[in-house]
Amino acid sequence: MRFQSQKVAYWFFATCMLLLSLQIVYGFIMGFARIGFDGLHDYIPFNTARATHTNLLVVWLLTGFMGAAYYIIPEESDRELYSVKLAYIQLLSWVVVGVVAIIGFHFNWWEGRKFLEIPRPLDYLVVVNVLTFLFNIAMTIWQAKKRSTTQLVLFFGLLCAALLYLPGMIYFDNQTLDSYFRWWVVHLWVEGVWELIMGGILAFLLIKLTGVDREVIEKWLYVVVGLTFLSGILGTGHHYYWIGTPKYWLMVGGIFSALEPLAFLGMAIWALNMYRKKGKNHPNKIALYWTLGSAMMSFIGAGFLGFAHTWPSVNQWTHGTLITAMHGHLAFWGAYAMLVLAVISYAMPNLTGRKLFTGMSGYLAFWASNIGMLGMTGALAVAGITQVYLERKLGMDFLVVQKEIIFHFIGMLLAATLFTVGITYFIVDFIRHGLPSDEAVGKNAGDLE
Amino acid sequence: MLSKSQARAFFLGGTFLFSAIFVFLTVDTLRQNDSRTNAQNMTADVLKGKEIWEKNNCMGCHTLLGEGAYYAPDLTKVVERRGATWIDVFLDDPQAMFPGERKMVKYNFTKEEKTQVIAFLDWVGKIDANGWPPKPNIPIDSIATPPAPKASSSAVALPQPEKFSQLCVACHAVGGKGGNVGPALDHVGTKFDADYLNRWLSDPQAIKPGTNMPKLPLTDPERKDIVTYLSSLK
Repeated sequence: MRFQSQKVAYWFFATCMLLLSLQIVYGFIMGFARIGFDGLHDYIPFNTARATHTNLLVVWLLTGFMGAAYYIIPEESDRELYSVKLAYIQLLSWVVVGVVAIIGFHFNWWEGRKFLEIPRPLDYLVVVNVLTFLFNIAMTIWQAKKRSTTQLVLFFGLLCAALLYLPGMIYFDNQTLDSYFRWWVVHLWVEGVWELIMGGILAFLLIKLTGVDREVIEKWLYVVVGLTFLSGILGTGHHYYWIGTPKYWLMVGGIFSALEPLAFLGMAIWALNMYRKKGKNHPNKIALYWTLGSAMMSFIGAGFLGFAHTWPSVNQWTHGTLITAMHGHLAFWGAYAMLVLAVISYAMPNLTGRKLFTGMSGYLAFWASNIGMLGMTGALAVAGITQVYLERKLGMDFLVVQKEIIFHFIGMLLAATLFTVGITYFIVDFIRHGLPSDEAVGKNAGDLE
Repeated sequence: MLSKSQARAFFLGGTFLFSAIFVFLTVDTLRQNDSRTNAQNMTADVLKGKEIWEKNNCMGCHTLLGEGAYYAPDLTKVVERRGATWIDVFLDDPQAMFPGERKMVKYNFTKEEKTQVIAFLDWVGKIDANGWPPKPNIPIDSIATPPAPKASSSAVALPQPEKFSQLCVACHAVGGKGGNVGPALDHVGTKFDADYLNRWLSDPQAIKPGTNMPKLPLTDPERKDIVTYLSSLK
């Protein structure tokens, strides 16, 4: 950390840890319901648990992105944040909106559109909040002493993410159009502009951790995000196969979805190559693990597993089954969750001055959570394939099939337990770092700059 | 080797070009939407039904057009599959219809609200979804050994009455197809006579107090058809 105002990021990261823990709790509620232990049904029915689980994911990742931006932008701009006070107000209101939304879900108050369940009045508050955040970041960049590609790509990604939230707020009577524009938010976020944010954060981490020349890293950043948009924008078509849109979406969506792994492959190759070319050994190996891990797992989860079921003739059978849940888990984990954990791992020693990355627990956190997540994905994959075969290909009754796959959900819960052990290690380390300290300013552990 | 400005041009050019194509396709999709979704059939009931659907976050468990939470069945073709009557009975007390099974919240919809939800689902089921969901393409008989008694049986089972395939198969299976909440009905005709089956269907509680079998809203001819069909299952 080189600037006092970067300390703001700590509080965003702390919020992340809290929301991630809650997300895991709701995941377990759903997992147990699936094996028949739905004792909480009267208080937290499945749709509440589900909405809470996915919205917490979105909120904690966005909180992480914001924290990352508050950490990265001052350093990339070589100046303090425009307004620290505004950043705290923004965090506080963000948390309030999130908490109100989640409590609302438990009282049947929501919009009932997958991933966009947050009730309409709160949507407006989200918009105001994100605009405040962007204003703060934009002013910092505007008054900056230097411009960097990383800084601009990150800002452009955050700006587009905010703009693309808007189509989700238009009300359509027609279910098909409702769905059509809902994907503008959901798909164009995760397979579009979020990848821009991911690229920006990854570039920053690679510059810091490998010491490779900024110009080289930023050139490839353009190539990677270029590939993302080239495939990802029309790749939205894979959500348009069966919702009542014209048939040409089958072809458009199929072809461009098949190209989508290229962007993730590019990202993985880019990260690994930069690591091979590294000009220094950064002592924070754990941050490097998460950074390279994120680039590779996003290729497996988002790229490869997405590819596995977006071709129309495959998707007609797998659409709306646990196959989607399987892909979703590893995609979000690899691309975004691991990246946020990478930023946190990198930033925490710098913010607090404590070099906990020398211990064992960081590696345990990394391996336990990753093996756990791969286990969960595997369990969902087997359950999903069984479901597709029995329910879709043979035409067996939905509930009968669900009973056949209970066993795999027991496996999923076991893997989830291992995952939770990993995340617990991560959070314990986070807490052990303590609060950000003024003494840490200017003492970046191992950084060249 | 690619220079940084070339890389930037690739990013900006690609983004602009594909965004433009995407917007163009969106305009065309909007143009075709009314006819593909039968927008003329979106009655006030359908619109109200959609509101109820969203207000209760039904997609938090169910899927619709394959989008949702995979915890409860896809409802795209539910009106065609189960019929309005069954859905109407089911919504009154979902857990009574599937005792001991995956639970659904009892929403206490009014008669009118139930009609609206069903109208909405009926409209969704008729959207031109490019042939989705596909029909199962592996015949279950091709992998299951046919039950032995069936081969030796002299009676030939009658075709399933419409109400049977909407109501009864939700819980009972015949020939391996259907639910497994209630017992399979493959040989029910050998166990019970028509009179008993008729009394049973009229009021299950009167015959076996505490049974999970609900009293179904069947007209006399419908019940008679089902009894005749069941008697043929030997």
